[in-house]
Amino acid sequence: MPSDESWLDRFVSGLPETRVFQRLASWLLVPYWAWRTPVKPLPGGPHPSIQPGDNIQCMMNLIMPLKDKSPIGRAKAALAIAQNKDAIYAGLDNVGTVHFARFVIVGDNICMFSVYDGDFTNYIRDFIATIGGVFNAVVKLVEGGDAVTPCEHNVEAFIQWVHERDLYQVPDTATDLLRDQEALNGDKASFGHDDLRLLPRKVVLQLRANANVSLGSGYRAYPGFSAAQVRNQLGIGW
Amino acid sequence: MSTVFDAADVQGNILRGYRKPRVRYLILEVADRMAARRWFAASTTGRDDVPQITTGNWGRTKPETCFNIGLTYEGLRALGTPGSSLATFPNEFIEGMNARALKLGDVGPSAPETWPDPFGDPRRIHLIATIYADEVAQLDQVQQRALTDGEAFKLLGALEGCSFPKDAVHFGYRDNIMQPRFAEVHDGQRYEDGQPKAPLGTVLLGHPTNFEGLRWRVPQPEALGHNGTFNAFRVLEQDVVGFEEYLDQAASDLLTRPQIDELLPPGAEEKIGQALSIEGLSRHAALREVVAAHLCGRWRDGTPMALSPDAPDPKVDQANFDYVGNSRCPFGAHIRRCNPRGGQIVQRVANNSRRLVRRGMPYGPLYDPAKPRDPTKPEPERGLLGNFIGASLGAQFEAMSCDWLNLGLQDPRITGSNDPITGANDPGTSWFDLPLKSGTTIRLRGLPRFVRTRGGAYAFMPSIPAIRFLGSLMA
Amino acid sequence: MTGSSVAKQLVDAIIANLPEPAPGLRPVHTMGVGVDGYFMASDVARNYCIAEHFRGHRVEVSVRFSNGFGGPKQHDGWSDVRGMATRFHLQGGVKDGPATDLIATTLGEFFARNVEDFFEFTKIARQHPVQRESPWRKILDMLQLKEPVRDPYPKETTNTDAGALSYANRYRFAQLAVFEAAQIGAPVSYTRATYHAIHTFMVEDPHGVRRPVRFSWQPVAGVRTTDPTATPVDKYLRHELEERLRRWPARFMLMMTIGEAGDALDDPTKPWSARRVRVVMGTLTLTNLAKDQVADGERISFNPWRLVPGIEPSGDPILHARRCAYEVSREMRGGCPFIRSQADAK
Repeated sequence: MPSDESWLDRFVSGLPETRVFQRLASWLLVPYWAWRTPVKPLPGGPHPSIQPGDNIQCMMNLIMPLKDKSPIGRAKAALAIAQNKDAIYAGLDNVGTVHFARFVIVGDNICMFSVYDGDFTNYIRDFIATIGGVFNAVVKLVEGGDAVTPCEHNVEAFIQWVHERDLYQVPDTATDLLRDQEALNGDKASFGHDDLRLLPRKVVLQLRANANVSLGSGYRAYPGFSAAQVRNQLGIGW
Repeated sequence: MSTVFDAADVQGNILRGYRKPRVRYLILEVADRMAARRWFAASTTGRDDVPQITTGNWGRTKPETCFNIGLTYEGLRALGTPGSSLATFPNEFIEGMNARALKLGDVGPSAPETWPDPFGDPRRIHLIATIYADEVAQLDQVQQRALTDGEAFKLLGALEGCSFPKDAVHFGYRDNIMQPRFAEVHDGQRYEDGQPKAPLGTVLLGHPTNFEGLRWRVPQPEALGHNGTFNAFRVLEQDVVGFEEYLDQAASDLLTRPQIDELLPPGAEEKIGQALSIEGLSRHAALREVVAAHLCGRWRDGTPMALSPDAPDPKVDQANFDYVGNSRCPFGAHIRRCNPRGGQIVQRVANNSRRLVRRGMPYGPLYDPAKPRDPTKPEPERGLLGNFIGASLGAQFEAMSCDWLNLGLQDPRITGSNDPITGANDPGTSWFDLPLKSGTTIRLRGLPRFVRTRGGAYAFMPSIPAIRFLGSLMA
Repeated sequence: MTGSSVAKQLVDAIIANLPEPAPGLRPVHTMGVGVDGYFMASDVARNYCIAEHFRGHRVEVSVRFSNGFGGPKQHDGWSDVRGMATRFHLQGGVKDGPATDLIATTLGEFFARNVEDFFEFTKIARQHPVQRESPWRKILDMLQLKEPVRDPYPKETTNTDAGALSYANRYRFAQLAVFEAAQIGAPVSYTRATYHAIHTFMVEDPHGVRRPVRFSWQPVAGVRTTDPTATPVDKYLRHELEERLRRWPARFMLMMTIGEAGDALDDPTKPWSARRVRVVMGTLTLTNLAKDQVADGERISFNPWRLVPGIEPSGDPILHARRCAYEVSREMRGGCPFIRSQADAK
């Protein structure tokens, strides 16, 4: 760095990396600013859009805390997936809009990540209709899951429950996070008295309100094509 | 939950159509809660001169006038429905049609912000009352009775529709050919159509749905929700001049294509002319009809493309067909997008699941292609007053709108395109494929938006006992 | 308002804002280096665009990489937008013959929607004396969880950062470009950055279908910037490029993103969703530094309007303004005149 800096400059520049400052920030500064400048948690799932590309290869990111936070609880979740292999493929093949789905255990959470085409509610509803049993087997192991199972008789509530757990997708460009927050507050102005230097605080406070988020809208090798289009083009039937 | 179904418990326009030539929609705001409740209570019997709600059991003779109602979420609130009950209604209904614009393709010129009053302020729209009759005088008379006490409601607006001869609608097609058929309902107008009979849960809450084992949530209490249904009421402006101009343009474009003889073999124009009773039909004029038939999936006389792809044929069954094998009905044709029947779709589980009951009537003057237009005068507004009825707006009306009409997710060969007639099309990017016998296609481009949404609301159509329940609300 | 008088005003506005004007040189992107290479279209490119350089044969190119900074001082290591201007030599590859240009920078979006915005930006984003923010001020920023103000580089006495920031604070459309420009850093090599052509163009396919597209160059070697905490080096990019090309050619993939109905066609401040179809249009191979840096770097006058049949400009007002502004700027420094095609040249 430039040589004209004093020992104080150097000390201050290094301050954010010190443990003292980090403690101060997490115990005092962040709660203080969260109180002074509250932010609402941004809603999960894909950004609503009418454009075709935005409605294809959508992401669902669920992180669901297991009721039983022990190796036994995690094993039950692992078993619920393993025992339903046939059902899962029946769903994939007959709903036809899913590119891939992954189940992952992280800590005491079961996570489900998928990439699907089209509307979120249609996707979940179609899966409830084909393999609701798999949803029931997984969701009953999850905190709060009893209220929405069996999913076949709680379709609307189940879809809502899943939507509420779907992670907020932080936009690809940093400043769009500001636009999302403005939209949530009903602020549609194109001009403002903003302070762009406050972006870090806004990110911090959003991540305080929304501890788990998806970073970016997902990175795609062949955006704009549905699962069925890929299958059709490859000549493997759809 | 009651096990025996009684058509007298449900509103009359749900399971069968009245087939009256005139309709008037009264868009009402609850002005006085107590008076409105009294009105509701009276409407089930026709007491106090309030028009009686027509039920599904109208007996041997159809009433001279029919009267039905639907309530928006704001309307249920205005009547004082308890919050615990309101919370049991589905999200899409609670949010209302304006808030669901992206799912319905109501963007750009169709955006709710552009809707004229009374649809500009959806919070004030509480009740949509519908009068069906043969004569305008009857409409006036029922309207007067409905508003007679002068306290219960404020009239925000009225919309009037009138059917055209032979079930024609503004784009010149015969409409109202297909509706779901129900095992529980005898309807002399409906014939075998090769499709499974629809379960009652297609349109009534509390009954088995089209999805095996799935039930939609019945709004609580049971007396309010059971046998009710939801209606997407839409004011859809149709650009008939634009549509006819597009047919001209597409026909001229097709005449320059090398594969044109596959689409219209030499001499075929005569056959098309015969079927449409037009003498000396030119090749260009015949191609206009060919394009119109492909866009819709039916020739304008109603002949399904699936059965008669080369020319309209009055002998062909208009109802009983399917999209199997090498059907030459385009994958993207309007009727195939709305209801793919037993045809192959990506979401196989969803075949038959998104069917709707449609009760629509044209508004505005009939377009006469023979009459020269005065380009200095604006075209009169014309379109369709449509009701799209189903027990789940989300699973039926919205699901069809967002993934099938627009986007075209159900078939990889149409994905990324919108419905050619009703879709949110932009001429810069829109396209539509005409299938040829050889298995190749001709792609049409430059389709503009022909149908523009000018208003609408999601309404709950309560059962007769539910109307009584609403009339008896206290506090 | 894109006539030549406006173009003159635009160039004047840019020059008026330079820390040190450099007569005879480009007012911005002053310091650069010319490189020779060739472009090979992908086998699908011709399905999307009928332009000559997408037909699949080898097309000779001249590329000029540059630092965005205006003036004769070279500060390769400073955080700055970099330019990559590419001339495709058509019809046999004769230099000074028919050609088309593609002008791209490392900034993905522009900060002004139109000429009026641009003038206002140049008024607000003026050169301002800069000095290191006091440690106390920095602590105050930290307590507010605020982005600290960047320390000036050694010898950096003025910059436009504060003005650009105040413009962005007022106009939300400018925030993305200003924010990204502030974070952009310095590439370790001109061949290790992504360059975006920013504007929308309309390309025509063999069936006459026109599609809105945006182009960008993706470096095959990958993207890498220098360590922002290290003291910046003033001159290394040219030498690095020379050494690199002596060992092995450097390559870029030309990616073309296809816009959809509803995407911003005429607004260069609005990025398109990353979820649009991306087409591989070809590979650029850079072989050596141009032998004659004056002729093949400094004297070439690129112009985003030097297009060929098959590619048309969109209605983007900034793109329209650049046509004449580049020409005025060329006249002022005496570069090669703007020739659209051979017919125009005669």
